Amino acid sequence: MGSGGGEEKEVTTAATTSREPRTTIKLVGSEFFVLFLCLIVFAAFAPFTPGFVSPANLTNILIACLPLLLLATGQTMVLITGGIDLSVTATIGLSSVVGALVMGGDAGWLRGSPMAMPVAIVAMLGTGALVGLFNGACIAWLRMPAFMVTLTTTMFFSGLAVWLAKKVVNAESIYNLPPAFLALGTQAWLALLMAVVATLLAHVLLARTLLGRWLYAVGHNPRTSLISGVPVAGVTVSAYVLSGVFAAMAAILLTARLETGSPNHGKALLLDVIGAAVIGGTSLFGGKGKVLWTVYGVLFLSLLGNGLNLLNLSDFLITIVKGAVILVAALLDVWRAKFVVRGS
Amino acid sequence: MNLRITFTRTFFTTALAVVALALTGCGKSDSGAENSSTGLSPSAASGQVKTIGVAFETLQTEFWVAAFDKLKADCAAKGITMLEGVADGDASKQFDQVKNFINRKVDGIIIVPKDGKTVIPMIKAANLANIPVVLYNRPADPSDAKHTAVAPDNFAITKEAVTYLVSLAKKTGKKQKAMILMGDLSDVNAIGRRDGFEAAIKEAGDAVEVVARIPTDWNQEKALAGVQSAMQANPDIGLIFTSSDFMFPSIKSVLSNLGKWKKHNEPGHIILGGFDGDATAYQLMAEGYVDATGVQDVYWEAEQAIQVILDAKAGQAVPARIDDKGFAITQANLKELEPRMWGAVVAKKKK
Repeated sequence: MGSGGGEEKEVTTAATTSREPRTTIKLVGSEFFVLFLCLIVFAAFAPFTPGFVSPANLTNILIACLPLLLLATGQTMVLITGGIDLSVTATIGLSSVVGALVMGGDAGWLRGSPMAMPVAIVAMLGTGALVGLFNGACIAWLRMPAFMVTLTTTMFFSGLAVWLAKKVVNAESIYNLPPAFLALGTQAWLALLMAVVATLLAHVLLARTLLGRWLYAVGHNPRTSLISGVPVAGVTVSAYVLSGVFAAMAAILLTARLETGSPNHGKALLLDVIGAAVIGGTSLFGGKGKVLWTVYGVLFLSLLGNGLNLLNLSDFLITIVKGAVILVAALLDVWRAKFVVRGS
Repeated sequence: MNLRITFTRTFFTTALAVVALALTGCGKSDSGAENSSTGLSPSAASGQVKTIGVAFETLQTEFWVAAFDKLKADCAAKGITMLEGVADGDASKQFDQVKNFINRKVDGIIIVPKDGKTVIPMIKAANLANIPVVLYNRPADPSDAKHTAVAPDNFAITKEAVTYLVSLAKKTGKKQKAMILMGDLSDVNAIGRRDGFEAAIKEAGDAVEVVARIPTDWNQEKALAGVQSAMQANPDIGLIFTSSDFMFPSIKSVLSNLGKWKKHNEPGHIILGGFDGDATAYQLMAEGYVDATGVQDVYWEAEQAIQVILDAKAGQAVPARIDDKGFAITQANLKELEPRMWGAVVAKKKK
């Protein structure tokens, strides 16, 4: 009995010990972990950062993070398929220039026309879709590595954007955009509405549609997906097209906000885009991710960046902190992947 | 049980994070105390100005670092807290930084913009908050956004420097082929310098012919590639002008490889000129490789930028533009003008 009790005790202790790491893993792996981190960051900055909790600053954070939200949402869909889209910043630049060349007040092809703004927006979205189609086609049909394709198309489309702007207006920046378009930059609710609707649609697409299920399936195992009848190439191309369209939407917001069409918009955003998705929990190895997680990732990076900035830390220090956080998130992703492999 | 453990761990993690950030926060608030330890009370030294936000597009070159350091030192001397932001060439990021300054209710904002166009909505946002804005060294394009630009007279200073280079070209007795390294042409400074160069060349008549106009976008690698190609296409180029001194190392690299990196008193010397007056240019002038450079007064511009904010907050009228007249420093007047060249000051400090 005694020995039995002892055994019982040992079993209980072992169970408790093994439960502790399991609890930690549960917490880290929880869907709401990053949201919880956001709350911690918010609570930590609030008392010590002048102006952090002011309504103006919170609005500022919300509006400033919208282009990142759109880009990271598009990137999430690509990451879920096991790919990566490094060309999103070039897509922003090219879409911005194309839109401004259509509607710009000085040299725009449709300047002064009431159709200038709608046509420009369609042209911007179309540009994003075409860039995505090109990327997707190279990756899915020519079997080229996503990293290589999107890195080289970044160079190509960035150069094309500069060339286009210089060819047409002999300058890199295109100004005098229609006031109706600029309202997307000055009227916060318009930008918010656009980003929220697009993000919700992405969420519905991933969570409730067949295409969404196929995206996950391709990310998990493309070969098995193919055998199971999933049109792998088409699904991969769709992911890149969607990423391109979301990048074009980010271009619309940035162009309106800065009142200028420019090939340089968003050039420094790439690490934040991938970082936000990965911090949220989207796996770099494919098959795992949610739009909601990306929203948390974007919120976390935005709160962190804004808070550190208001503390008047140098920009280099802020970059170091953000880089470290993204590195930790990527490391966690590697650990999670290992854990899943071992577990299975 | 699980919930309790999770809660306990979370509580401690949160507490740790809060303490860490509190320490950071305390560290920063101490900097305010440091300012007051300069001996000048904020109110006595600078009237109503207690905080200024400074947003730089980049700190990549000696010029911008010198300007940033001067602004920081002057703010500290006046008991003003300087909030800082560096946008790394990203106009959107700079807009966020300016908005942060506005949220912090600063008394004035000094901006070095990415270009003259994207800065306009930033100025308008500050105008709405009734915060005076100074554009440092890089003016905005014409608009109804209210601000003061403290900037060099790029055209005049460049023309003066290039006219000196042309006079050297004429002395060689043969028609010289010339190359210009242009900056980012969405930057009015780059346009002013290019136009000053072209005007001086035009006045030279047949003495100089421009055979290469290299677009660099203020990028050293592009400058290097451009000079390499131009020297290959025109090996007899005898005059090179760079729109910014920070591209001299690119020129030096190409000319050294070609065996054409010669001092001004050596045979085969290529006439060299630039703009900025930075420490590299000073060093190369002192060694005899560079013939002339246009000097803008970085320290004077910084003083003027802060003064405009002090004046605006004191209710005085401030001008829309303050010109830094600058000057051209040449091998002929180097000894005489050296004390006024900011790059010489920086170079001597480094030594």
